[in-house]
Amino acid sequence: MKKLMSLLALLFAFALVAAACSSDDDSDDDGSGSSSETEESSSDTDDGGDDDADAGSDDGGDDSVDLTQGGDLTFHMVTHSDDGPFWSVVKRGAEDAAAAVGVNLVWAPSNNDPEQQVADIDAAIAAGSNGIAASLASPDAVAPSLEAAVAAGIPVYTLNSGVNQYKDIGAVTHIGQTETVAGEGAGERFNDLGATKVLCAFQEQSNVGLEERCAGLENTFSGEVVSEFVGLDADQTAQQNTIAALLAEDDSIDAVLGTGPVVAVSALGASQDAGKELIIGGFDITPDIISAIDAGDIAFTVDQQQYLQGYLPVILMYLQATNQNTAGGGLPVLTGPGFVTPENAAEVAALVEAGTR
Amino acid sequence: MNQETTTEIAEKADDPGSGANATDERLSHRGPFQRLLTSPEIGALIGAVAIWAFFWAVSVPFGTAGGTANWLDVAATLGIMAVVVSMLMIGGEFDLSSGAMTGATGILVIMLVKDIGELGGAGLNLWIALPLSFLAALGVGWFNGTMVERTSLPSFIVTLGTFFVVRGAKLGFSKLIVDNVQVGRIDEGAGYEFWVKVFASTWTRTEHQFDNRDVFYNQFLLAGLVFIALAFFEMNFRRSRTGFSVWTGVALVGAVIGLGAYAGMHSTDGTSINWILAIVAAAGALIGIVGWARWRYDAAEPAAEADAGSMAVAGRYTLIGLALVGAAVLFAWWLDSTSERTVAFLITIQGLRAMLFVSLFVIGLVYLSRAAGAAGRAPNRNVFGIQMLIVAVIVAVAFFIQIESASRKFRTEFFSVMLLIALLFAVWSVVSLISAERRTPDPAADAWGRRLVLVGVLLAIAGVVIRLLFTTTAEIEAGGVPPASFSVRILWFLLVTIIAVFTLGRTRFGSWAFAVGGNKEAARQVGVPAARTKTQLFMIVSAGAWLVGMLLAFRLNSLQASTGDGLEFEYIIAAVVGGNLLTGGYGSAAGGAIGALIMAMSAQGIPFAGWNSDWRFVFLGVILLLAVIANNLIRARAEASRR
Repeated sequence: MKKLMSLLALLFAFALVAAACSSDDDSDDDGSGSSSETEESSSDTDDGGDDDADAGSDDGGDDSVDLTQGGDLTFHMVTHSDDGPFWSVVKRGAEDAAAAVGVNLVWAPSNNDPEQQVADIDAAIAAGSNGIAASLASPDAVAPSLEAAVAAGIPVYTLNSGVNQYKDIGAVTHIGQTETVAGEGAGERFNDLGATKVLCAFQEQSNVGLEERCAGLENTFSGEVVSEFVGLDADQTAQQNTIAALLAEDDSIDAVLGTGPVVAVSALGASQDAGKELIIGGFDITPDIISAIDAGDIAFTVDQQQYLQGYLPVILMYLQATNQNTAGGGLPVLTGPGFVTPENAAEVAALVEAGTR
Repeated sequence: MNQETTTEIAEKADDPGSGANATDERLSHRGPFQRLLTSPEIGALIGAVAIWAFFWAVSVPFGTAGGTANWLDVAATLGIMAVVVSMLMIGGEFDLSSGAMTGATGILVIMLVKDIGELGGAGLNLWIALPLSFLAALGVGWFNGTMVERTSLPSFIVTLGTFFVVRGAKLGFSKLIVDNVQVGRIDEGAGYEFWVKVFASTWTRTEHQFDNRDVFYNQFLLAGLVFIALAFFEMNFRRSRTGFSVWTGVALVGAVIGLGAYAGMHSTDGTSINWILAIVAAAGALIGIVGWARWRYDAAEPAAEADAGSMAVAGRYTLIGLALVGAAVLFAWWLDSTSERTVAFLITIQGLRAMLFVSLFVIGLVYLSRAAGAAGRAPNRNVFGIQMLIVAVIVAVAFFIQIESASRKFRTEFFSVMLLIALLFAVWSVVSLISAERRTPDPAADAWGRRLVLVGVLLAIAGVVIRLLFTTTAEIEAGGVPPASFSVRILWFLLVTIIAVFTLGRTRFGSWAFAVGGNKEAARQVGVPAARTKTQLFMIVSAGAWLVGMLLAFRLNSLQASTGDGLEFEYIIAAVVGGNLLTGGYGSAAGGAIGALIMAMSAQGIPFAGWNSDWRFVFLGVILLLAVIANNLIRARAEASRR
């Protein structure tokens, strides 16, 4: 009995470790290790309905006549959104754009469930959508439906994730940030700030997106780059001490790029432990990192400006429907990297508060 | 100790024939080494020392005060949880919610002190928020325990449920109340000034100077070693019935000569070792030790010499051992110590040299000690001869290292440590030759021995702590001293460990914990309140999680919703590495603490050594496997030798 119990225990241990290893990073990166946890269980159709009510018109409202030119246009934004802080900004951007040009918007978040996303896309096709913008966190599952949409003559755009697949699908363009370009932007920042050796500290192993950030940094940074895994966000003490250990081991490191906001703040703690001034950069936005930037302790954080990832697809779909414009010219439209630095930290903090950054 | 009693009872049940004609084994005497080897945490302790020595050797900053502060900081929170989880595991249960609870308690306190509109945040004073959150944590522990008892489901399932609820609640409430996955800031709470000192103050080494530091360090360490050596004598040799004798005088004279020469050594400029005084000090120590042994213990009766066959084996082992040590020295002399050229997969010439040298030397010593074993039992001239050979080999290799090594720490610190080991071993051999081994129990002498060990260990630790906590004016003037900050959480770790060891070993509740973990039904039938004991153990784990939550919250000021998720397995692993059984009923709280030290040293040693982090979990896995295997081997051998 004991044996059986301990065997079961071990099995559960493995299952749990596997489940627990995905962290709740508040940013969703291009198809990279997107966390598969269920954060809020709300049914989609409800959500879509609510949003429509907000936008002030009916779902798929073919009958409703609007004075503006685009009033009878309905666009669908079908994403793997979990309605977390990251995606709520995207949604805000899409809603603002829809209101600005006077179109109907259906916001369908699938909460990281590809099947749900496929169902939402099929529903959009059936409803005769005037344009579909979709995120491709699970390209293999979602691409066939989008190809069906293209075949049905519906303009398709991809956003946030899908930079490598949008062409194959036949989408007009992709609106998002590539991790490599973001890393390259950070590398140029470090060049300007006079760093000579950067530690690229990442918080998850086997996460393609984070590795691309470090690879991008290596592309543009003129000095030396060392990339090291420094521990999960769930254990910030260990993270901070690991960075301190790396600093002690290699005295020539004078800058750290944290591939997430928590790592960057941990690096700040480590530099204080080691009694060593460091140039620190980070990725994404949290209250902590904004206040550290405002205080001048952290040099910058890379912001992928996800508001644009909601706003631009709606505008582009509107212009294609009304003016036959196709943006991008066969290349993706990049929304980042934007940078938060000590100069604009206070303004950004206010915008974060307002829900658009 | 209770854990011993429990396992012995279990053993007797396993082996019904043993009690028939043999004397009661619980009354038979066991030597100090054997007793040390049967304690649950010994394998882990040896592993911890080995891992520390390993990383000390491969990394320069790891062994410094800064490096120590670094890995102790990681070990402290892990260790507090490993200790309480060990207690629960001894009681036969698991708590998978323990990791998530560390974050949850911290977030709860921050939420309680925040004042943000109608949704949440009570805007409470910390003096109220801390006890409230502590009660909430106890409530979760009580819930876990009660559910396990009421449903009779495995605690794995029940606490898995609690884990998901706690994890979800952390995220849900964080989003609901502050609309972010990060919750801050605790420094807005009233009473922060006081509590941050309790949970997050630090001792920065460079701010405290103590110029006589090294004198105290040396004296304390040496005194500690003397006490520990004496304790082992007390526990191993038969007390003489005669009182003071001429040997008492010899002991005193030796001690005076030794101490005088030692003091003389330290009053010189200290830049060069005074060889004559050193030799006089060693001779004085030897005279003192011989006098002490003759005065205090019965003289050895001559033991039977080993037969010719065993002597031939001993001779062969001696030759093999000497050949291996010789090969180690030859390799080290031949290979280039500065070459970083890779020979094969990640291994440089430099690394190959170190590996060959260490492994050949250690295997050689193992063969020599087996030779001593084959030559019979002390007191025996052949055994003594081989032991002296071992001493000579260690001393010779120490001098070889001093001449050959490129690294300063090997030439000075490691050299002294090797000489010290050789000296202690020589002293032990001499006393073993002239004194009679005790073969009957002597509780009074054992009690003396234990007290001496305690004093010795405390003195040695005090010496090390003084060295870690202070800088000297000279060091500061020389510059380049990193500002190592020791966190108060290390003290919390120590406190929790001491309380847990005391509770398990000395209280009725501790005995109950072992009993319900060993066999719950049996325990219940002899009147142990099994349900209550288990529930209390769950509450202890939650209390530990609360403490860790406070340490995190006051250190970091704001917490991620994911804080602590998934770490529950690290706690369980640390407990297992420390010698606790997954099945309950056996183990120790100190083992959990040592397991945490091993995990933290391994995890932090890897970046200190500058190894590629892609391989981090491979290294970690190998180290942990070795620790557990060593643990089992040592325990199995010790248990076997007792029959």
